[in-house]
Amino acid sequence: MGRVIRNSLIVFAAVLWLVPSYLIVVNAFTPVADYTGSPNWYASSMALISNARKAFAATNVGHGMLNSLMYAALGGLVAVLAAALASFALVVMPARRPAAWFWIIYVGTILPLQAFLSPLFNGYAKLSLYDTQYGMLLIYVALCVPFAFFVVRNYMTTIPRSMAEAAHMDGAGWLRTFLRIHLPLSRSALMAAFIFQFTWIWNDLLFGITLSTSPNVRPVMATLADLTGNYSTVGPPVVLAGALIASLPTIILFFTFQRFFVRSLRLTAY
Amino acid sequence: MELMTATEFRSTVRIPAMIRRKSLRRRDGRTTLAVGLFLLPAVALVGVLLIAPFLDTIYRSFYNDNGFTRSWVGLHNYRTLVADPAFGRSVLNTLMWVVGTLALPVLLGLLLAVGTYSLRWGSIARFSLILPYALSGSATAVVWTFVLRSDGALNDIIHTLAPGVTPPGWLTEWPLNTVMMILASTWQGTGAAVILFMVGLQAIPPETIEAAQLDGALGRKLLWYVTLPQLRPITVVVVGISIVNSLKTFDMIWLLTQGGPGTESETLALTMYRETFTLSRYGAGAAVAVFLTVVVVAASWIYLRRQLRTR
Repeated sequence: MGRVIRNSLIVFAAVLWLVPSYLIVVNAFTPVADYTGSPNWYASSMALISNARKAFAATNVGHGMLNSLMYAALGGLVAVLAAALASFALVVMPARRPAAWFWIIYVGTILPLQAFLSPLFNGYAKLSLYDTQYGMLLIYVALCVPFAFFVVRNYMTTIPRSMAEAAHMDGAGWLRTFLRIHLPLSRSALMAAFIFQFTWIWNDLLFGITLSTSPNVRPVMATLADLTGNYSTVGPPVVLAGALIASLPTIILFFTFQRFFVRSLRLTAY
Repeated sequence: MELMTATEFRSTVRIPAMIRRKSLRRRDGRTTLAVGLFLLPAVALVGVLLIAPFLDTIYRSFYNDNGFTRSWVGLHNYRTLVADPAFGRSVLNTLMWVVGTLALPVLLGLLLAVGTYSLRWGSIARFSLILPYALSGSATAVVWTFVLRSDGALNDIIHTLAPGVTPPGWLTEWPLNTVMMILASTWQGTGAAVILFMVGLQAIPPETIEAAQLDGALGRKLLWYVTLPQLRPITVVVVGISIVNSLKTFDMIWLLTQGGPGTESETLALTMYRETFTLSRYGAGAAVAVFLTVVVVAASWIYLRRQLRTR
């Protein structure tokens, strides 16, 4: 009885959550000419392809996706690695004042993003990092380190100390202990942190529109924003089709990540 | 032969462990250097690219700056800010966001992660919850405008189910607009909490659950006395991140109401943005940024101070 109630609540939540996503898909399939201003509940045709083609023709969404793929994959990877190194130093190694170092890194997630914009813009202009791929990558890595650090650090505290002690007794140095024990054992936290950072960088708009202008630097959301700027000329179905295509990589990433959970689930199912 | 008491036994066994621990905790020059090298990438990135620009923002908050001329005004920007009635509303909205975000996505995320964890079709249910988190901000904005506008999807449903009822202005009446936007952000953010709680559930050793089940802990008892305490490290992450993100809420409001009508649904992040980029009052915008940062640091400090003790 309790199980029936629980399962129906889960189904209810899942269906409720799907309604807005469903509206996105259905309206991305509506031809611009048929669009009346209010949302459609059913797909009237298969105009997704032509809408998406319009979105790609109107802006540089395709090029933006390639740029963003590089920023999100490389930036996420470097950020998670830097975060894991710092977590290891503060959780396992005998660091002096670990709490102070924690706050120095964590404060990066606390500072309001909009407050960075003008000082960063000025600094980037001075150092000629403005509108370069290096510049974009650098700021994305920095912005992603604090959150990844928080996730990985807290996960590492659940790894028993005796593991590091045993490795130490066997003569393993810090780097070896980190690479062979703590990095593999934190796999699920590292993966979750990477997925979050990838998604965050992929969906970032603020820094994309502030620190870049040229098409071979601009990330995808900034190019899509040009489309939304022309809202009245291209119409919501084209905006939605562009946004839907641009969201495919993150959707695929989350879907793959789910399989990772299912696989480990079998180990604990009894 | 005499039998050892439990404490004697434990202390005998502990000795080698203590020797080991001592060597692991030793701080000589080499170890300090190693700690420094491990910390360097993260600290350098955050220090140079995030903390340094922010120190510049603190400095500018003491100036009257319109982008062309700059003059020292001391605390004038802060005093004007506190005296502004719109600022009080902005603080109140920010508080509503904090409470709403802690109550909804965190709690729903926990319940749905625990509820779907051992279900065979759980990954399908989870996918529909996680999907909105993977979608971009522009898609989210368009679809919630679809749902909430006066001829939108929500009113379509209301007209069909209850003809004759006049629905309220979902995005035009305060505090309803703030509540609706909190719900929209719950739609988007719950998936993130679900994922983090899934990571936490995975870290629970199966033996712990098995042992508890052998001891007769089932259903709610198992959840309350075994699962939830084991989820503590990840709960700290989810709550910590939610406090920070809710205080900094910007995108959803910017895309749906721009803080309007007037400045009624503004949060502190929007007030800062409006002062800086719409009104070009850089000093005043910097003052809001500093105020907001102090609030977020204080809230995080109060929550995390006790939660982070591990050793």
